[in-house]
Amino acid sequence: MAVYRRNYRPYSGTQTSEWSRFLVLFRYSRRNLFRSKVQTGFFVLCFFYPIACLVMIYLAHSASFLAKLGVPSQLISIDNMFFFRYMSVQGVLAFLMTAFAGPGLISPDLANGALPLYFCRPFSRAEYVLGKSSVLGILLSQITWIPGVILFAIQASFAGASWTWNNLWIAGSLVVASLIWIAILSLLAMALSAWVKWRIVAGALLLALMFFGAGFAQAINAVMHTDSGHFVDVGYLTAAVWIGLFKVEAENSITAFPALIALLVYCSICLLLLMRKVRAYEVIR
Amino acid sequence: MSDRIIFEDVSKFYGEILGVNRVNLSIPPGITSLVGPNGSGKTTLMNLMTGLVKPSRGRIEVLGHPTDDPENLFKFVGYSTQFDAFPKGLTGFQFIYSYLCLSGMPLQDAERTTWQTIERVNMVDAASRKVAAYSKGMRQRIRLAQALAHNPKVLVLDEPLNGLDPLARSEMIALFRASAAEGCYVIISSHILHEVDVISDQVILLSNGYVVAEGQIQSVRSEIQEHPTQILIRCDRPRELAAKLFESETTIEASIHNDGHGLLLKTRDADRFYLAMNQLALNGIQVESIAPADDDVLSVYEYLIGNEEVVR
Repeated sequence: MAVYRRNYRPYSGTQTSEWSRFLVLFRYSRRNLFRSKVQTGFFVLCFFYPIACLVMIYLAHSASFLAKLGVPSQLISIDNMFFFRYMSVQGVLAFLMTAFAGPGLISPDLANGALPLYFCRPFSRAEYVLGKSSVLGILLSQITWIPGVILFAIQASFAGASWTWNNLWIAGSLVVASLIWIAILSLLAMALSAWVKWRIVAGALLLALMFFGAGFAQAINAVMHTDSGHFVDVGYLTAAVWIGLFKVEAENSITAFPALIALLVYCSICLLLLMRKVRAYEVIR
Repeated sequence: MSDRIIFEDVSKFYGEILGVNRVNLSIPPGITSLVGPNGSGKTTLMNLMTGLVKPSRGRIEVLGHPTDDPENLFKFVGYSTQFDAFPKGLTGFQFIYSYLCLSGMPLQDAERTTWQTIERVNMVDAASRKVAAYSKGMRQRIRLAQALAHNPKVLVLDEPLNGLDPLARSEMIALFRASAAEGCYVIISSHILHEVDVISDQVILLSNGYVVAEGQIQSVRSEIQEHPTQILIRCDRPRELAAKLFESETTIEASIHNDGHGLLLKTRDADRFYLAMNQLALNGIQVESIAPADDDVLSVYEYLIGNEEVVR
C-alpha cells in the first residue's frame, strides 16, 4: 500500500450564486448565434416594422403635416388594432427567427455528447434548459414586446394621460401575448433540437409543424365537419389568444381560454420531451 | 466522515437493460482501475459515483457525501467523460473557463485557475485554438484539464488513455500519479491492460454488470484457484529442475524455453513450490530468477472474464 502525502488543496474561494449560473450558457449560446451574418442581418431586419410603426405614431400626432400631404388624420389610428397588427407582424418574424436560431441550441451538445460535462457540475437539467431557452427568450423579447412597449410609451407620451390610462391594458396585452408566443416557440424549437440531432432538419421540422399543422387542421375540419381541427394548429391557437387579449373583432372559431389551455398542453408536452432527452446519459437499445 | 467511495448493494437498470447489479465496493485513495469488456458496466459505475444516474437500488457515498447533492458533490469530484464531449466552437481556454464559471467560480478566479490547469496539462500554446482542431491526444488532455481544473479530490476518468500515442500516454499517466500522490482518488476505466497493471494501486474487474473481482491484482490472482499459477524460472539446468519439480504432486506442467536456460512451470500450490525451490537451489542448480508469469491484470482478466476485447 502506497503512503500518500496529503497535500491536496481544494478550491476554497467564494462561489457565485446558484441562480446566476445559467447565464454562462446564455452568454456562450448568444455569442455563437451572432457569429452568423445571416442571423445578425435578420435580427436587424426585425426592427424595420417597429420603426415603420414609430413613424406612423409620429404622423398620427402631426395633423398639420398630414394635412400638408393631403392625408386625412383619421386614416392612421393608434389603437388596439394597430398594436394587434404590430404583434402579428413581429410574431411571424419571431417565428422565423426561432426556426433559424432554435434548432442549434441543444442539438450540437447532444451530437457532441456534451451533456454529461454540463451535469457533472453543480448544474441541473432545469438550469440547462433555462440557460438555453433564455437565449431565445431574450432574443425574441427584443423583437416583440420590448419594442412594442416602447412604441406604446411613445404613443402615450403623445396622446396624454387620459389615453394612456384608458389603454394601459394594451401594454399588458403586448407583454402577455409576446410571452405566450415566446414560450411556445422556444419550447417547440428546443424539443425539436433535442430530438433531432441535425440542425437543418430540426429547423425544417419547426417550419413544417406550423405550416402543415394549419393544413392538417383544415383537413380535419373538412373531413369531420368540425372546428376542433384547429386545436392541432399552434398558429391558429395563438391567434385566438391574441384576439382575446387585444379585444379585436376577428373571425375565430375557438375562443381565447380553450386556446390558451391547448397551448399550455403543447408547452407541457414539449417540456416532457425535453426532459426525456436532456440527460447525462443515453440508453442505446 | 468516511474517506472512501462506497457502493452498498447498488444496482442500476435502464428499463430492462442491466447497467450494474449488486455492486458492493469500498474504494480507497490512489489509482483504481475499472476493467471489463464493452457493456460490462464501467461507465454506469462512473455515472453512479458522480450522481449522473441514480441507482435503482442501493446506496452510494463519495467521501461521506451522498451523490444526489451536486452542489456539494462536485466541489470535490471531477469527471472526464469517454466521448468527445465538447460544446461547439470553444477554444481550449474557453472550454475550461466556461465550465469553471458553470461550477460557480467567480470570473477572475476562473480565469486564473484556467491558466494554471492549462499549464498543468502542458497545453499553453494550444489554449487559444479551437478544441475541434485539436489532435486526439490534445483532446484527451484538455478533457482531463476540465476535470482537474477545480482541484477535485476524486477524479473519475472514463477511458482516458484511449487513442493516445505512447508519449501522450506517459504524460497522462504521470498526471494521474501526481494526483494520486497528492492523496486524490483517481478512478480510471481502461481496456489497455498492461498500462492498468503498471499504474493501478487496485483494480475492479467487471463483467456483464457484475463485479467479478476487486483489490490489489496479486491478491486477486492468488484467489483464483481453478487456474494453476504460472512461474517463470531462469536457471542453468532447466531439464533437471523440471524433473525434480515433477516429484511434487502440485506441479502440473513444465515447458523448457527454446534457449535452454528457462522453464515455465504451472503449479497448483505456489507456496509449496517456493519452499521446494529453496531446497533445489541448495542442490547446486543455479537459479538466476524466479518470477510469477500470470499475476498481472491481463492474466486475471483472461481467467475471470475471457479474452474478449483485451488490448495487450
